[in-house]
Amino acid sequence: MRPPSGPSGATTPPGPSGPLLSRAALALYPPSWRARYGEEVRALLHDSGGGLAAVASVAWRALPAWFWPPRHLHDRPARMRASLATALMSWSMLTGLGLVFVQLTQFQDLNPPGHPEVRWAYAVFDVTLAASALVAGLGGLPLWLLMLRRARREQRPRDAVYLLLPVIAPAAYLAALIVTIRLAGGAQGVSQWWFLVVVLAGFAAAAIAAAGPGLALRRLQPRGPALRLAAAAGGVAAAIMAVGAVAIVVAVTGLSLWSRHFAGYHFGTIPVLYLALVVTTATVTTVSAARGTRAALAEP
Amino acid sequence: MTDRLDRWADPPLLVLASLAEEPKHGYAITQDVAQTMGVRLSAGTLYAVIARLEARGLIEPLESEDRRRPYRITMAGAEALARQSERMSTVASLARERLSTSLGWAGA
Repeated sequence: MRPPSGPSGATTPPGPSGPLLSRAALALYPPSWRARYGEEVRALLHDSGGGLAAVASVAWRALPAWFWPPRHLHDRPARMRASLATALMSWSMLTGLGLVFVQLTQFQDLNPPGHPEVRWAYAVFDVTLAASALVAGLGGLPLWLLMLRRARREQRPRDAVYLLLPVIAPAAYLAALIVTIRLAGGAQGVSQWWFLVVVLAGFAAAAIAAAGPGLALRRLQPRGPALRLAAAAGGVAAAIMAVGAVAIVVAVTGLSLWSRHFAGYHFGTIPVLYLALVVTTATVTTVSAARGTRAALAEP
Repeated sequence: MTDRLDRWADPPLLVLASLAEEPKHGYAITQDVAQTMGVRLSAGTLYAVIARLEARGLIEPLESEDRRRPYRITMAGAEALARQSERMSTVASLARERLSTSLGWAGA
């Protein structure tokens, strides 16, 4: 076979766009695509003069590379791990938002008369939250145990701590909550400011609890059936939780319309901001989990 | 209105036809396609095509000492190119024959 032909001195000096723009255009591509073809594209842009039109053509093709990644660049385990980490974080935030909703509405017995939709929405949310947590827990348990065993076997104490954070962080939060209520609470419960502190601390605890397994996934890089099961279960749990998010939207909208005593009622922006957060976290959870599930169910 | 008959110049086909001669790297492919087939492939289009053809096993990368990695056509790629060339050749022959019969066209 003849040796590959080359530009044989036909290169032109780099154009005004230079390496900075070509690097910026390549930054738009998925990491796996960039790792495989990035240097070659930069060499081509350099050899061909790297005009603005050439760089723009590279930037323009980045979008299809995200939507239809070439099969040979598709790292399924990496996709599942990344999706699981993202979905776990957004699922925790969504659960936190849901628990705030329960505390401010359902536990306060806010049921506008003549509108059973709100009561149904409470019931739907309770069922979906429990079912989603159950599916996520059962589906993720084998992977969690597998990683924990490996962290112990390979003497990786930091990874073991990361994996135990979903237990440690909520336990520490609940202990702090009990102490706070005892010290700062009165007959009517804690004040508004203490409630805000408790809520923010709850979100911080949820974020820490979710970040732990995400970090362990990145560091231990597990593969195999346990990872596929967790990714598939994540998809189911996210789908169930999406129904719960719809129930929150229905209940909050109903309360805003029919109950003047609903939290933040005279400030219309509070329910709107809350709903925007719910919709955003539910969307991120569903999209991430769906990508992980697709990778789990794809042909090897 | 653009003449959409230029769709015959399908970039994957042009790249396969270029590599059918010998292995080439990206810049050499664009030069060859421009000089022999009269089509300018942009850098973005070329590497989108290379990624697709590689994923389908129609071309494969060769070892390279620098960042200009050459590609060569695989057996599957050669077969795909041959099949498509046959189809195009059949259509081209038919078109010439009918133009000649109905319009007295003697060829360009």
